[in-house]
Amino acid sequence: MSLTILISKIIALYLRKSLKDKVSKDVGETIIKFFYYGTVIIVSISALERMGIQLSGLLLAGGITGIILGFASQNIVGNLISGIFLMIEKPIKIGDQVEISETSGYVTDILIISTLIRTYDGLLVRIPNQQVFTSNITNLVSFPVRRIDFTIGIRYSDDADRAIALIKDLADKEPFALLNPEPFVYVRELKESSVELVVWIWAPIDEWFELKTKLVWAAKKILEENGIEIPFPQHVVYLHNIPEKNQIPAELKPDKEKEIESVLNYEERVLT
Amino acid sequence: MYGDYDLPFSVEKEEISITVEKIEKLWVYRRTLGEDTEEKLILGEGKHIIINPVEPLNTPKEITPNLLIEFEKALLLPGGIKREIFLTFPIEIGVFIADKGNKNLQLLDVFTLARQKFTLYGPVSNGIVCKHWKSGIYSVPPSPNPLQEGVMELVLRNTTSDWISISKAVFSAYGMRLYYDTDVFMKAHMDIRSKNTAETGFEQRNISGELKSYNLKDQNTRKEAIGVYNRKLDFVPLNFNMGLGF
Repeated sequence: MSLTILISKIIALYLRKSLKDKVSKDVGETIIKFFYYGTVIIVSISALERMGIQLSGLLLAGGITGIILGFASQNIVGNLISGIFLMIEKPIKIGDQVEISETSGYVTDILIISTLIRTYDGLLVRIPNQQVFTSNITNLVSFPVRRIDFTIGIRYSDDADRAIALIKDLADKEPFALLNPEPFVYVRELKESSVELVVWIWAPIDEWFELKTKLVWAAKKILEENGIEIPFPQHVVYLHNIPEKNQIPAELKPDKEKEIESVLNYEERVLT
Repeated sequence: MYGDYDLPFSVEKEEISITVEKIEKLWVYRRTLGEDTEEKLILGEGKHIIINPVEPLNTPKEITPNLLIEFEKALLLPGGIKREIFLTFPIEIGVFIADKGNKNLQLLDVFTLARQKFTLYGPVSNGIVCKHWKSGIYSVPPSPNPLQEGVMELVLRNTTSDWISISKAVFSAYGMRLYYDTDVFMKAHMDIRSKNTAETGFEQRNISGELKSYNLKDQNTRKEAIGVYNRKLDFVPLNFNMGLGF
């Protein structure tokens, strides 16, 4: 049995090497896994027969054991079946960037029972296949391009058309900001403190993050260089009946006579 | 600027400056293009440098093997007709180091004076990212700056019986064959198969005995295309099938 596992591992290693340049990694890994587990199962069954253990005799015991194990291993079987469906349906591939159950990162392996994700901060997260299969999966690299989407607020006194032209010009100078689909910049909302511009620029999927980080800051800089500012939240307060300079309204004036009188009264009280 | 150079050498043209000089026991390669500079050290003797035009798909990063040439104006072509037009295409300049006899060619540097821009051919869900170039349509070969643009002779064949309107053509770099002397040429064809599909490709035979030719992506480098295509293929087709309109 251990010899079979060893031989299977050697053949799997050989298959991995020979399939490397011929099929994609995820297809290759699926083939290898089916081969490896298939060989181990077949050899195990034949080994049992050679050892004199009659499989037919095990059927009854196996049936009862199966029911017990079935209840005990519901999750494992669920994960196994989900894993098979994941391999057939292929919503994700090894190397894809995905978001599954609030976990984001690169798919490093799709195993029979679980899927391994390397998060962007370098952690390995193992998600059971049943959870993967029943969760909403967002594949971030499924399509060749992805949209960069950000907003910028400018002052009410600034020329929004000029700001839009500057941002479009910025996109035009960036090689990876795609010409088609066309960059789109528009005024989305007149907010309390600013005029909100929305920027949509498409980029090749592999360049998306780098371009986004570059563009957001570059847009801020180009606007400021052209006298267009991003305002702080502000409120305009209008004052009516503004009093003359240094003049205190009569009702707010202190009653000096009363004050002096009270002081005198106090002194008088002390003296007496 | 294009040609073979023995070490040491220095060449300057337009904004480009390339020098290879010996400092102690090392050869130092320096290239400047505006504010962009590249410097590399070379170990070894008896080498020489080849500067020639290469396919416009290496800079700023090789992310696609396809070049989309958008026509400045749409071109109408009657059914069942074959016509020849001339376009321009962007050029990148490749600097190679080689042994005597042009053996063991190794790319040292690649840069361009041409505008760099990418676009998507087709819809977001199944389109193809391409390097973009906008060209006028000429009935006679234009004379662009050979360090920036080359001339493509494009033979259009409309195999349908209807009028068709063409506004772009997409080419695969893996079939490109580029000819150069002082100017740079390519000869390509575009066969219109239906109202929405066409096939483009390049002439593989020499178009003039006087010109040097450079097969941009040969059989060996074509293997690299597997990664670029993001799927495993035994071979990369030399022709490009424009199934998403033209």
